[in-house]
Amino acid sequence: MMMVKRLGWTIVVVWFAITATFVMATAIPANPARALLGPHSTPEAIAKVEAHYCLDRGFLGRYACFVGNIAKGDLGESFRSKRPVSAIIVEHLWPTVQLALAAIVLQLLVGIPLGVLAAIRRKRWQDHTANLISLLGQSAPAFVIATLAMYVLAYRFGWFPIGGYGDTFGSRLHHLVLPAATLAAAGIAYYARIVRTEMIDVLGEDFIRTARAKGLSERDVVVKHALRNALGPLVTLVGLDLGVMLGGAVVIEFIFAWPGLGRELLQAVLEVDLPLILGVVLVAAIAIAIANLLVDLVYRWLDPRLRDQP
Amino acid sequence: MKAVVLIALAACNGMDRGPHERAAGHAKPVDGGTLRYATKDRVVSLDPAIAYDETSSYAVHALHDTLVDYAPAVRGDPHSGTDIVPHLAERYEVSPDGLTYHFWLRPGIAFSDGTPIVAADFVYALDRVRAKPDSPYAQFLVDVAAITTPVQNELVFQLARPNMAFLAILTMSFTTPLRPNTELATGPFVLERWDQGRRLIVKKNPRYWDAASIHLDRLELIENVPRDVQFLMFERGELDAAERLSAADYLWITERQDWAPYVQHRTAMNAFGSRMNVTQPPFDDRRVRQALNYAVDKDHEVKLLEGAAVISHGILPPGMFGRDDALTPYPHDPAKARALLAEAGHPNGLDLEYVVLADEEAMRLAESVKSDLAEVGVRIRITPMSFAAYATAIGSKSGPAFSKGVQLADFADPVDFFDLRFASSEIHDQSSNNDSFYANPELDRILAAARAEPDRNERAALYQSAERILYADAPWIWEYHQDVTEVTQPYVAGYAIHPIWLRDFSRSWLDR
Repeated sequence: MMMVKRLGWTIVVVWFAITATFVMATAIPANPARALLGPHSTPEAIAKVEAHYCLDRGFLGRYACFVGNIAKGDLGESFRSKRPVSAIIVEHLWPTVQLALAAIVLQLLVGIPLGVLAAIRRKRWQDHTANLISLLGQSAPAFVIATLAMYVLAYRFGWFPIGGYGDTFGSRLHHLVLPAATLAAAGIAYYARIVRTEMIDVLGEDFIRTARAKGLSERDVVVKHALRNALGPLVTLVGLDLGVMLGGAVVIEFIFAWPGLGRELLQAVLEVDLPLILGVVLVAAIAIAIANLLVDLVYRWLDPRLRDQP
Repeated sequence: MKAVVLIALAACNGMDRGPHERAAGHAKPVDGGTLRYATKDRVVSLDPAIAYDETSSYAVHALHDTLVDYAPAVRGDPHSGTDIVPHLAERYEVSPDGLTYHFWLRPGIAFSDGTPIVAADFVYALDRVRAKPDSPYAQFLVDVAAITTPVQNELVFQLARPNMAFLAILTMSFTTPLRPNTELATGPFVLERWDQGRRLIVKKNPRYWDAASIHLDRLELIENVPRDVQFLMFERGELDAAERLSAADYLWITERQDWAPYVQHRTAMNAFGSRMNVTQPPFDDRRVRQALNYAVDKDHEVKLLEGAAVISHGILPPGMFGRDDALTPYPHDPAKARALLAEAGHPNGLDLEYVVLADEEAMRLAESVKSDLAEVGVRIRITPMSFAAYATAIGSKSGPAFSKGVQLADFADPVDFFDLRFASSEIHDQSSNNDSFYANPELDRILAAARAEPDRNERAALYQSAERILYADAPWIWEYHQDVTEVTQPYVAGYAIHPIWLRDFSRSWLDR
């Protein structure tokens, strides 16, 4: 029952995102026909293009034309490249998925241990170092970290390729390191702070004292009892981050020439390429909705008390 | 912590940033190899009827040849690359009245799969352009009344009115022959693979009519690489050529003795300035427009472009036939500007909106224009817009009256600059190509005469008089023509920036 309800809400949310995007995109005072035809266009040619792409209709007519087709499962053709939007999205979705997953894995693999370390070595040098790293990771904008990493690690040392995507599995991983690490930097910092705070709270709880009193090793106390209880808020964050990252990481994709969705969306917005804008937003909205759904499921697994709730 | 310090120290250490590889010094071109270059944008389309942006044109031009094309550019010769020479046509004749263009196809020409190219393939491609509602090219064929193919290898264009720029129009890639539902190439290369938004690889077309002049096996175009990243890749040897360097890289490389032989500049066929809607006050007063021309310090703009530009006196770029090289640009004279403004009834200056494209370079130049105009009491508010919004806004008669003006050539003929921008027939209330809404019967008469004038010297003289009229009437602030700069690895031979195609590596070779 809960799943059906959630699914219904997901559809409403996606519909709302598409409609809001459509309203905003049509509010831009730019005529895509003029941008398409270039400086030699005649009014007749522009009228023809407008008719061809439903641009000559009123607001509701256009809404029916663009959003109605999406409901029928047809994302249409990009104004600019005349290629099917679904094909463009499929091409650029996979690079984005790889980047997003790699970044999330890094955030978890580095952020959690950093937070735990800071919590159990509270007010010691490990804690201070972790705090400093968190501060840097959270306060330095992605483009600064990206540019520095590219300059030092790729250009000066040559450890990584400067930009691009890579053809083989090994080369793909090699190309993925810098963009994923840069994308993960802020997340690592944030996760470390969250885990630290939660751990400090949890380590002060009665059941931890009980666990220690039972004679459990400190390792078991921290990992089995404290950490599992401290991870709750992180699950929400991972879900949200994954959703946002699947919409495309514009800055990182731009700097590292990573062929993801974010770049495509930015370009589509600049060119008022309505079908492409709507298509990418649709995918991003679905990604966020699915991520939220997964968060709920993981919550229920982590906290058995939630399982019986409707 | 120590590691961070070590990395920082190592990064600051000097490193040899000169060319890493030398040319081998072969006297004759060597066949083979892949030339890698990158662009900051993406290839939008490979359909010659659709692709209308510079980056797509690199690929489309490599894949598709036309009846006639420009001669290759020659390094160091600012006038090279604009003469039109036969390509898929072996020869052509133009009737004395300028209305009939008769082409004889080169014997033995074929598509990349070996199918012979016949005159009907050209007709098919042109009909397709005219039938496509969203092709930007149909408008170039408005003068064509009929296309006939008397025999299989002859093609005749009948024009409704004379247009001396017609041959130049036929250099554009949309006129390439096509077969229905195929992606056959007719140019020096054929498509090997295209990973959209990432890279495009073309390989040599052995069936190209001039295959003997093509030495490279492949061209690899890497898409969507920012300019400064391109230069880092170039320095690390991941690219063979890098273009339009960012300011810092440009200044650095132009000062390096060891790189100097491998850096090229060429003034491309473009014009930049500030366009004014002459039907809206205060721009309906010529004195105001002239005052603004005196007020802007063009030297400073060229400095902001790191010297990679020439100050202009009009819309025709250097190297274009018909340009009056004797005209001198408006000098920077704030006192005269103030006097003209006062005379026009604006002793206390003006408040204006200035619309520009929202990119870093345009914003930098707009700030310069703003401070120059402030000096003469004209206060401007800068409004940045995306390309689509900008194109819509400035084509509207009641839209923003003052904006950045940009003209990039489609073909090397003054028709593409004058008729499009300043003929009164191009004025419309919306989507106006003549976006300064400048209407002058005298100029219309000259442009119509020049369009039909078969004698090249007479024609040039007509355009020179058109230049003088526009200079004095000043519907734009005439500012500059921008250079294209490219640096290549020492082993890249036979490359010169082309004034129209810009990055045409088809006849380059690798001397290694």
